Amino acid sequence: MSAQPHAAQAGTLHTIAVPARMRAAMLRRSLREHPGPTVAGLAGLLAAVWLIRYALRGDQHTLALLVGAWVLGWIVLPLLLGGGRGRVRPAHLRLEPIGGVPAATGLLAASAIGIGPAVSLVALAALPVHAARHGLAAVLVAAVGAVLLWLLGLIGSAIALEIVGHAGGPAGALLTGILTGTAMGVAGSLWAVFPWVSILLVGAPDRVVRAMGYVPSAWPVAAASGPSGQGVRLMATLVGVVALCAAAYLLLVRRVITMGVPFRPRGTTPFPLVRRDGDEPAARRATTAASPAGVGRPERGWRAWVPAATRAVAGREVRAWMRHPLRLQYLAFAVVYGALLAGLPLLSDVYLLLPWAGSLAVLGAAAMSAGLVGLDGTALWLPLTTPGGERAEVRGRALAWLALVTPIGVLLAVVGVLLAPDVDPLAALSTLPALLGAGAAVPVWVSLLRVRPVADPRHPTSADNPTDVVSVLVATGSGLVAAAPVLALVIWGPPEVAPLLPLVGLLSGAAACWGGIWLADERLTRRGTDVLAAAGQRSRPPETVLPLTWDAGWYRENTATAWALGLLTVGWIPVIPQGVMPLAFGIDSGWIVAGHLSGSAHTAVGLAMVGLGVAMLLTGLVLWDRRPRPGRS
Amino acid sequence: MITPALEIRGLVKTFGAHRAVDDIDLTVHSGTFHGIVGPNGAGKSTTIGMAVGLVTPDAGEIRILGHDALRDRGLTRALTGVLPDGLDFPERLTGAELLRYSAGLRGLHRVAATERAAELIEVLGLAKGAGTPLADCSTGTRKKLGLAQALLHAPRLLVLDEPFEAVDPVSAATIRRVLRRFVGGGGTCVLSTHSMLLVEQMCDEVTVIHQGRVAAAGPVAEVAAGGSLEERFVELVGADASGSAGLDWLTEAR
Repeated sequence: MSAQPHAAQAGTLHTIAVPARMRAAMLRRSLREHPGPTVAGLAGLLAAVWLIRYALRGDQHTLALLVGAWVLGWIVLPLLLGGGRGRVRPAHLRLEPIGGVPAATGLLAASAIGIGPAVSLVALAALPVHAARHGLAAVLVAAVGAVLLWLLGLIGSAIALEIVGHAGGPAGALLTGILTGTAMGVAGSLWAVFPWVSILLVGAPDRVVRAMGYVPSAWPVAAASGPSGQGVRLMATLVGVVALCAAAYLLLVRRVITMGVPFRPRGTTPFPLVRRDGDEPAARRATTAASPAGVGRPERGWRAWVPAATRAVAGREVRAWMRHPLRLQYLAFAVVYGALLAGLPLLSDVYLLLPWAGSLAVLGAAAMSAGLVGLDGTALWLPLTTPGGERAEVRGRALAWLALVTPIGVLLAVVGVLLAPDVDPLAALSTLPALLGAGAAVPVWVSLLRVRPVADPRHPTSADNPTDVVSVLVATGSGLVAAAPVLALVIWGPPEVAPLLPLVGLLSGAAACWGGIWLADERLTRRGTDVLAAAGQRSRPPETVLPLTWDAGWYRENTATAWALGLLTVGWIPVIPQGVMPLAFGIDSGWIVAGHLSGSAHTAVGLAMVGLGVAMLLTGLVLWDRRPRPGRS
Repeated sequence: MITPALEIRGLVKTFGAHRAVDDIDLTVHSGTFHGIVGPNGAGKSTTIGMAVGLVTPDAGEIRILGHDALRDRGLTRALTGVLPDGLDFPERLTGAELLRYSAGLRGLHRVAATERAAELIEVLGLAKGAGTPLADCSTGTRKKLGLAQALLHAPRLLVLDEPFEAVDPVSAATIRRVLRRFVGGGGTCVLSTHSMLLVEQMCDEVTVIHQGRVAAAGPVAEVAAGGSLEERFVELVGADASGSAGLDWLTEAR
């Protein structure tokens, strides 16, 4: 009598185990073929060991913060690094006779098989290690809490990958942009972040302690070390959060396997097509091949100032910025990068850069717009078959960029100025129009000049990012050149010219914009078919393989490439620390050559350093661009 | 004498060492359907690309309705509607937004553009495609949307590269009717295709291109020379229509 339930139970268990076996097979193959996951796993293991070591004597709240960051990274990093590849997904079970609960359980079991979950489990052992100072019971409570946090990371990662990672939709793109912008912003502000991190590792400040009360990663140790009533409440809440996430994942899996459609965020609006009954269509009045109708009626208001074709391209571009995952990623990156570069110095009580938040974000947006033509594949054929389409294409792209980036730049600048009332914002605000002018037009020219087509224009992902370092540097450089007159007047000009700075910035921006549009017009009008052909070249030449270990033979055979790498690495030292820092910020520490001089000698040496660095970087770029590549004659 | 809608003389295009188009002459008379046929890689798309300005020729002349297409580009573009094959669209736009964008590029007034787009969407059965991003549209829907944008400004010359590829039979019949009405209204339609049946049904004249050269040109019946166009085509391109020999393992009785 009990045989049937047993058989059914065994069948369910077998079904649950299938995804796990699939995942194990995928992982084995992946480990055999690529060393990447193993190397990443070893690096993660080192970090986990450091975390456990810190837990032995470190601060409770800082540990909770680090553990929280670890779990968050586990959820988010696979989205950035393409961790969705090699995963067993709900869609894989769509044709199998399996229910929602066994499918979700099986998929989570499969997700648990991998280097990431194993290393995370080791890292979370830091919690019971830290709780050991409070006794055995505390260790057990913290260990249960660690397992719950591990489950939270596991389920959160599965949900994030299913909803965000595979959709390639706006949410995933924004998240990727925010994360990369944060990483680059922090990397660019290490001088300001390091002292704060040092303080945090010794003991969390009060505001951090208060905030950590609401973060789940703090609850296990708080439950282990606090009164028992509070401990029960915290652990029950943690169980509730995990259960809620599990229920959400179950719903997601059930939706995919029963409805047969993966979740996909919608970001489009239909076109109004309803025609009122009885209306005589205007088009019908004269829609013959001999006499096209509806052309050339005058427009009113602001529309009269912008040709219809330019408006059409600008409209297309604004929609593309709102919907294209890589463009959204670029925009989010620029905003976060600019805001952090200006804001993170606050950690060291430096307010000087806050008014520059807008300018830095605008410069970042210009840099990230230097490869947009390649993102659109061969869609350029439409303007190339339209009268005056080239001019409209160039101006429409610039106009849309201005319409999007100007409010962002102005808003960040205003916020920065308000947060730093004691810093003179004139220089920052005056460079803003210069940067906007250059950023609107020069990247259009650069992206027409160096077309790097994305492999799949229909469904691009972060992994297909075709950003080209030379294009980025040219676009950034053009912004700096446009801002140079304002900066030169700020540094060397007499105080009386200060009121003229906004006008100088405006004129510089207009000149840069005009120059960029002229160059882009020339390029597209004269070489439009070449640009189109380049945009259709989807197969890329094989990349240069750089040796990861010292290989004297390789360096002998690839002298130019080795020089390029060396110059591109070292060239920044004369530009930033030896040039810009003493000239613009008056930072003159021991190893800065100009710091040992004063007056005009100080300025001359600083400028010479910038010149030297720029020459090194340009030489490096030229050599890198001409490096011999396999398969290229 | 009526000016030809499209006149090509001595057209040449070389890619690297490969001469894709080798001294092609082509005349398309106004108010006619003209088919361009040829095997894969014969040079059809390159010829069409050069005619509409998407490929720069190495040598030769192109005249559209009497105007030099290489010099008076703005004028000839205004007279021409183009549906290329294998090129991308602005993939983030929906079908309806593509039509609005295309109308804007051509300088059509918003009201006229909206009404024309609505009519084309209705006639070509594009209601679903109109609200779907082009990146998510099927190949057939993309072809129909491409055709709609080519028709939107009521051109006098339509140049269509593989317009019926992946289009369902019902939609194909609709497109044929629309194109016949277009030609009946004084327009000229040039289309490249692999379907000889389609050319026999629709076209007044045909040009057979093989290895970058014109192998035959003229009225369809004249080129077919009393037989079917398909048999004549195989004969003209000198292909051995294999398939009669071998594969015994597939055909033997079980």
